[in-house]
Amino acid sequence: MSNAIDIQDLVVEFPGARGGAVRALQGLSLSVAQGQVYGFLGPNGAGKTTTMHVLLGFIEATAGVARLFDEDVRQAIARRRIGYLPEHPDTYRFLTGRELLFMAGRLFGLSRAVLNARSAELLALVGLETAADRRLATYSRGMLQRIGLAQALVNDPDLVILDEPTSGLDPLGRIRIREIIAALRERGKTVFFSSHELSEVERVCDRVGILATGCLVAEGRMAELVKAGEPAVAGEPAIAGESLEQYFIRMVS
Amino acid sequence: MIRILTLAWLVWLEMIRRKDIYVLLILLAAFLVTLMALNLFGLGKAVSYLKEIGLLLAWVCSWILAVSVSARQLPQEERQGTIFPLLAKPVSRMEVLLGKWLGAWVVTGAATLVFYVLLAGMVALRGGSFGGVVLAQAWLLHLGLLAIITALGIAFSTRLHGDAASALTYVVTLAAWLVLPRVPDLALTARGAVQTGLMVIYYALPHLELFDLRRRLVYGWPPASGAAVLLTLVYGLLMAAVFLTLGWLAYRNKRFTRGALL
Ligand SMILES: Nc1ncnc2c1ncn2[C@@H]1O[C@H](COP(=O)(O)OP(=O)(O)OP(=O)(O)O)[C@@H](O)[C@H]1O
Ligand SMILES: [Mg+2]
Repeated sequence: MSNAIDIQDLVVEFPGARGGAVRALQGLSLSVAQGQVYGFLGPNGAGKTTTMHVLLGFIEATAGVARLFDEDVRQAIARRRIGYLPEHPDTYRFLTGRELLFMAGRLFGLSRAVLNARSAELLALVGLETAADRRLATYSRGMLQRIGLAQALVNDPDLVILDEPTSGLDPLGRIRIREIIAALRERGKTVFFSSHELSEVERVCDRVGILATGCLVAEGRMAELVKAGEPAVAGEPAIAGESLEQYFIRMVS
Repeated sequence: MIRILTLAWLVWLEMIRRKDIYVLLILLAAFLVTLMALNLFGLGKAVSYLKEIGLLLAWVCSWILAVSVSARQLPQEERQGTIFPLLAKPVSRMEVLLGKWLGAWVVTGAATLVFYVLLAGMVALRGGSFGGVVLAQAWLLHLGLLAIITALGIAFSTRLHGDAASALTYVVTLAAWLVLPRVPDLALTARGAVQTGLMVIYYALPHLELFDLRRRLVYGWPPASGAAVLLTLVYGLLMAAVFLTLGWLAYRNKRFTRGALL
C-alpha cells in the first residue's frame, strides 16, 4: 500500500530581505502511512504551514519531491482525495454555510442530490445546523473554523490535512474535533494535522513529528516518543517521566 | 466545466449580494430622470438627446462595472486567503481564471442589459423608441466588448493588486478607445521602424470602436448585417482568449502571499 504522504529532501526558499533567501524548509523528509493520525508539531515559523502548502501544490518546492498517494503534488489529480482546512479560516463572507459546502462539493464534481444529503450530515457533525442558512459574515471565529472543517470533509477525503484545527475553538469544540479525528481514523482515513496543543496531540495521534527551523528534529510513534529510554525513530530519546510538552521544549530549544 | 461554472456562479452571487451594482443602477436612473425633467437648453429634439446621453451613461456605467468587477476577483481571493481552500480542490489555475472571467462577463453583460432596458423605457416615456433589432445587436456587440474588458482586467490582476490592475485596465481600454483609431494617421507622418511599430500596435491592440452601434441607435439607422455582427463578436472573443492566455501564463506559477492576515 502506498503512503498517504511522501516527502523527500524538501527544500523551500522564499525571497528574503536584500536579495537573500529565507529557507523555510531545509531538506525535510517525512512519510505518513495510510490510516495514521499524524501530529505535526513545531514552534511558530518552523515551516509547518509551508510544508502543507507544498503538499497542496500552492507553492513549488525549490528542491525535493512530495507525493500524495503516489501522485506528484503538482498534478491537480493529487488533490481529488484530499480535504484541507487552512490556517486562517477565512472564506466567502457573502455565502451562507450551506452554500459554502455546496460550492465546495461542486468543485469536486458531486451531484446536487449527493450534496444536499452530505451537507446536512456535515453541518450536524460540526454542530452548525442552526446557523447553516446565515451568511458567513455573521459567523464567529470558531464557527468559521467549524464550517472550514466541514468543507474540508465534503468529498469524503482519504487524507485530511488540517492546519491548526483547534485554534479559536472553545473546549467543547476541541473535544468535538478530537472526536471527529478519531472517527476518521476508525474509518481508515489518514489525518495529517499541525497543532500547538500538545495535550491534544498526545491524546489523538498515532505518530508525531517535531519540526524546528525547517528540519525534523524528532519523529516516532506517540507511544515510543515519550517512553523513557526508548530511542525515538529519529531524534534523542526521552528522559524518564518526561511529558510530550517537556520533550518538545527540549527538542526545539 | 462544472468547476468553471461553479466559480462563475460565485462571482454572480457576490455581485447580486453587494451594493455597488444597485448604486450604479440607481445613479443611472436618477441621472436619466433629471435629464428628462430638465430639458436642458430647451432642446427641441429631446428624444435623440436623451438617447445619446443615456447611451453614453450606460456605456460608462458598464465600463466601470466591467473593470471593477474583473480586476477585483483574483486579488480579493488572495487577500482574503480564500484562494488556498479553492486551490486545494482539484481545480486548475486555468479553471480559476476562466471561472472568474466568465462570472465577471455574465454579471456585467446582465447589468448592461438592465441599463439598456431602463434606457429604452425612459425613451418610450418620452414618446420615442429604439429599433428593436438594432438594440439587440448593440447589446450583443456590447457583450463582445465586455468580454475583452473583463479579460484584460483579469489578466492584469494576476500579478497586480486590485487597484493597480483596475487603473491599468481603465488606462488601456481608454487609450484603445480614443487613440487607437487615430494611429494610422500618426503612422502616415512617421517613418521606418516607428511606422512599423505603430502599425503593429494598431493591429495587436483590441479595436473597441468596432463594438459601438450607438449612432445607429440614436439616428434610427437600419440594423447592421448579421454576418458583420457575428464576425465582430468572434473577434471580441478571440481577443479575450488572447488576454486570458497571457494572464494564465502569468498566473500559472505564481506564489501567493498569505494575505493581510500574516
Ligand atoms: N511568502 C513568504 N515569504 C517569505 N517568507 C515566508 C513566506 N511564507 C513563509 N515564510 C517564512 O517561512 C517560515 C515558515 O513559516 P510557516 O508559516 O511554514 O511556519 P509555521 O510552522 O506554520 O508557523 P506557525 O506555527 O506560526 O503557523 C517562516 O520563517 C516564515 O516567515
Ligand atoms: Mg502555520
